[in-house]
Amino acid sequence: MSLLSNTATLLGKELRTEFRSRELLTTTVVFILVVLILFSFAISPTAEESREFGPGLLWLAILFAASLMLQPCFLREQTNDTLSSLRLAVSDPFSIFLAKLIANTLFLLLTEILMLPLFAVFYNIPILPKLHYLLLVLFLGSLGISIAGTALSAISAQARMRELLLPLLLLPLLTPILVVSATVSVSLLDREPIVQWKGIAFLGVFDFIFLTALWLFGEYLLEE
Amino acid sequence: MAKRILLGVVAILLLIAAAYASFFVAPTERTMGVIQRIFYFHAATAWAGEMTFFVCFVANLLYIWKRQQKYDWLGVTCAEVGLACITVVLITGPIWAHPVWGIWWTWDARLTSTFVLWLLYISYLLLRSLIEEPDRRALLSALFGVFAFLDVPLVFFSIRWWRTQHPAPVVMGGSGSGLDPTMSKVFFFNVFVMHVFVAFLIVERYVLEKLRHDVDILQREVESQ
Amino acid sequence: MKNLGSVFAAYMIGWGVFFLFFLLIVKRTSDLRAELNRLKNSLPRPK
Repeated sequence: MSLLSNTATLLGKELRTEFRSRELLTTTVVFILVVLILFSFAISPTAEESREFGPGLLWLAILFAASLMLQPCFLREQTNDTLSSLRLAVSDPFSIFLAKLIANTLFLLLTEILMLPLFAVFYNIPILPKLHYLLLVLFLGSLGISIAGTALSAISAQARMRELLLPLLLLPLLTPILVVSATVSVSLLDREPIVQWKGIAFLGVFDFIFLTALWLFGEYLLEE
Repeated sequence: MAKRILLGVVAILLLIAAAYASFFVAPTERTMGVIQRIFYFHAATAWAGEMTFFVCFVANLLYIWKRQQKYDWLGVTCAEVGLACITVVLITGPIWAHPVWGIWWTWDARLTSTFVLWLLYISYLLLRSLIEEPDRRALLSALFGVFAFLDVPLVFFSIRWWRTQHPAPVVMGGSGSGLDPTMSKVFFFNVFVMHVFVAFLIVERYVLEKLRHDVDILQREVESQ
Repeated sequence: MKNLGSVFAAYMIGWGVFFLFFLLIVKRTSDLRAELNRLKNSLPRPK
């Protein structure tokens, strides 16, 4: 049970740190907005094309934003060397990762929910009909992004050129999330919406596999 | 040393034999004609490459567990050799595809996951180049290697199940799908030969890595005097 | 035999990539061996 209580404490710390300044959230929201607008400048979609490509572009924007948003995750700990004190404070190093990935998932989700109305307006896509399923897909996708992103952020924080390295490591790895989330979102937002349960299950499997890998190997990521 | 030269000579001879078999022993394919002969080289290299990445994965796991340098050396060796294989696959594939189907590339499951595999292991090597300290480099790249390898089947199935709506040509023709018996023998001979050749490359690259380590040690010894 | 040129091109390029890779290994190995000898000779006394 100390894993849960450690995680809860650390999660509280992560959330408090972010909500004090809210800089990560605001910059991420603005970034996704800018990317979405730039996409429509580049492609200039018709109404039909918007519906077909919009969700994919949204997910692409989320991925780009996440690869930037996840940078400070472990870099923040490096500035004051708080990581070693964190490791001493907890019995299971996995709780550090768990706290961070839950926080990251929440931040991503919050950003996406804030973005959704704007996305619906700019791309002329009604999102209300299957909103609960859309939120489920957003949750599972964001969870996958956070799990992989938190792990890779721990790796890239210990290398040079980390700002460029994290997206380079993360984006190819997240191909399955991009493909499946985009496809499921497209069919959810279609004129005749379909819920692709196989896709939703696949996202769950991805999350499970990487969470397990993080659980097995997390402590080595934090080694001095 | 003599064994290594012997392996090299055997590998080259086998390569020539495999090419001969692919050109003169295997019958000409009915629909595609001569161009199909690329398949023997292309698919055999793909199999050898995948095997090499699997060995890399095992080496990564062993390093994380045992922390012995030899596993790190094996890991980077297999990553580079595997990358060479996949580069060959990604080049010979389009050369085959273009005359037959009129397209250089398609985003079907196999091609896309091969390309993502290539990207992931390029990132693996890049990661290594950006970490100075040898033990840290070994551990972090081994961890990334594990994550990357776990990702590959996920990439493959995600594309297979959600991106193959437009009927895409099956570029590798499905090696087991009712292949003529002579073709089958030639193919598996090519697979064997590519594995021997790849083993030779792995040995040579591994020796280089060990040499690099020896030089580093000696350098440190000289500097400390 | 229509596409024989393409088949040759594929084999040549394929073997070319492997050959280049092997050449790089050989070059780096000989450079390192030279470096190793240089370092051995620069040690003040034999160990």
